[in-house]
Amino acid sequence: MKIAGAKRWLLAGLAASALLHLFTGYTNRYYLGVSIDVAINIVLAVSLNLINGHTGQFSLGHCGFMAIGGYVSAMLTIAAHKAGIPQALTPLVFAASLLAGGVFAALAGIGVGIPSFRLRGDYLAIVTLGFGEIIRVFFQTFEPAGAASGLKGIPNYTNFLWAWGTAAITIYVVAALVNSTYGRGFLAVHDDEIAAGAMGVNTTRYKVTAFAIGSFFAGVAGGLYAHHKVFLSPTGFDFMRSIEIVVMVILGGMGRTAGVAVAAILLTLLPELLRGFSDYRMILYSLLIIILMLSRPQGLFNFVGGKRVKA
Amino acid sequence: MPAILELERVTIRFGGLTAVSEVDLALPDNALFGLIGPNGAGKTTAFNLITGVYQPTEGRITFQGSPTAGLKPHQLAAHGIARTFQNIRLFASLTVFDNVRVAMALHHPHGIAQALWRGSEFQRGERDVAQRIHELLEIFNLDEVRDVQACSLPYGDQRRLEIVRALATQPRLLLLDEPAAGMNPTEKSQLADLIRSIRTRFNLAVLLVEHDMQLVMNLCERIAVLDYGVKIAEGSPGEIRRNPKVIEAYLGEEHSPDNPPPSHRP
Repeated sequence: MKIAGAKRWLLAGLAASALLHLFTGYTNRYYLGVSIDVAINIVLAVSLNLINGHTGQFSLGHCGFMAIGGYVSAMLTIAAHKAGIPQALTPLVFAASLLAGGVFAALAGIGVGIPSFRLRGDYLAIVTLGFGEIIRVFFQTFEPAGAASGLKGIPNYTNFLWAWGTAAITIYVVAALVNSTYGRGFLAVHDDEIAAGAMGVNTTRYKVTAFAIGSFFAGVAGGLYAHHKVFLSPTGFDFMRSIEIVVMVILGGMGRTAGVAVAAILLTLLPELLRGFSDYRMILYSLLIIILMLSRPQGLFNFVGGKRVKA
Repeated sequence: MPAILELERVTIRFGGLTAVSEVDLALPDNALFGLIGPNGAGKTTAFNLITGVYQPTEGRITFQGSPTAGLKPHQLAAHGIARTFQNIRLFASLTVFDNVRVAMALHHPHGIAQALWRGSEFQRGERDVAQRIHELLEIFNLDEVRDVQACSLPYGDQRRLEIVRALATQPRLLLLDEPAAGMNPTEKSQLADLIRSIRTRFNLAVLLVEHDMQLVMNLCERIAVLDYGVKIAEGSPGEIRRNPKVIEAYLGEEHSPDNPPPSHRP
């Protein structure tokens, strides 16, 4: 049990983000952009891992929560921008908008969670998939957010520090939560719900908690994404985006926080590295995933055994 | 002695099937109580009723004087009912240590806030839990395998770990669903000693479902017999052994295989 060092790791992560942030002025904008994409995907994958990996609730709607967070946060900062908030206050405004996006996403997570907890496995996956689509279609027709033509004019607030700082916090929260006597309940729900209930684990509450925390961070990731790309389009939040995050979780090894973070890095960099192959890029990407899955079905970074993987 | 658990005319129907029918049962505090009956007699269903997995269609169940109607399994666990399962249900991917730790969480005061803040109070709490798990595992000789994944333990150890895990919830009543299934005679006699010592050491009542007649007759002070969901007899092991209804329904089958009892099926 590594307890004492946990908070030190968080501080180290935040400090490293701040330190590297100082040098971002010297790097090329492309690398900076990719590094922010990596951090956002870490937030998404690690938070989904709490739901899918640790708690064993197969969710295919993570991107829906991301969309909610993204739109809420972007609309708030646009409004603040129009109201003429002084430059010095923008970090505060941004932080508040990210939190608001996260809270809205968490509420949606609880809302979609509670009626779905009678469902397990594939059935829950289908409900969450449907939910993600509803969110996408909603924003496609939601005039105040630009509907199908997308939300333009989002201020470019996301920088290296915001993105990687959030990634460090997400990893810390999920790891600290699971590595506690309280948090072992998530894993118990994953392994055997009936036995967990008989041992006093309130399985419904654990599942709602996992969904709430997981979707909160998905919402925050959506906010970071919105202020990184400065443009939001509903088509960017389609089903394939959710699948990408699920693939990161599976490839990293369900329930392995560190593995999932590394998988998020790899799977974000891979399509970028394959740019040289232009048209064949996505074929190669898919092929590599198939090869990885065949060679390490328990996940790239799962060294204990294949027992945890049951999709 | 006052009854810790009482079933009054408890009935459950699944569609047209009455799995348990008007069963009365009073389990004295600190008792070693056996529940026997042929396959499909409703023993496990009775367990599921007592632990809140099913709600009775009719009748009422009281535990320590208060009715359990409407309570969920995890709430009943908090009230002091713990169980093991007929087909072992450990948290297979967790270590031996963590299997017990999950059950410890029930009476552990720390939640999300403490887990995230990780202050000195939290760390003291975690150390305390670790110490208590260590003590429990020692008693059952499982401490050496504390870091082994539960699914890779030998069968007998898995059964014992299930009992340890149940005890970690600090129960007043322990339900054991066929704890001797698949064990050899030596393991069975060790198990009987173990159950006796658990009763004294942890000061609780044990309700046991078991197919092994010798074990039940040896171990239990009182036995109830179910057949097709109906309680057909209750008494001391000696009384049960002599009861003609029981012999016909159950023991007769076992003692004279050439002379099968008449079918009860409707």
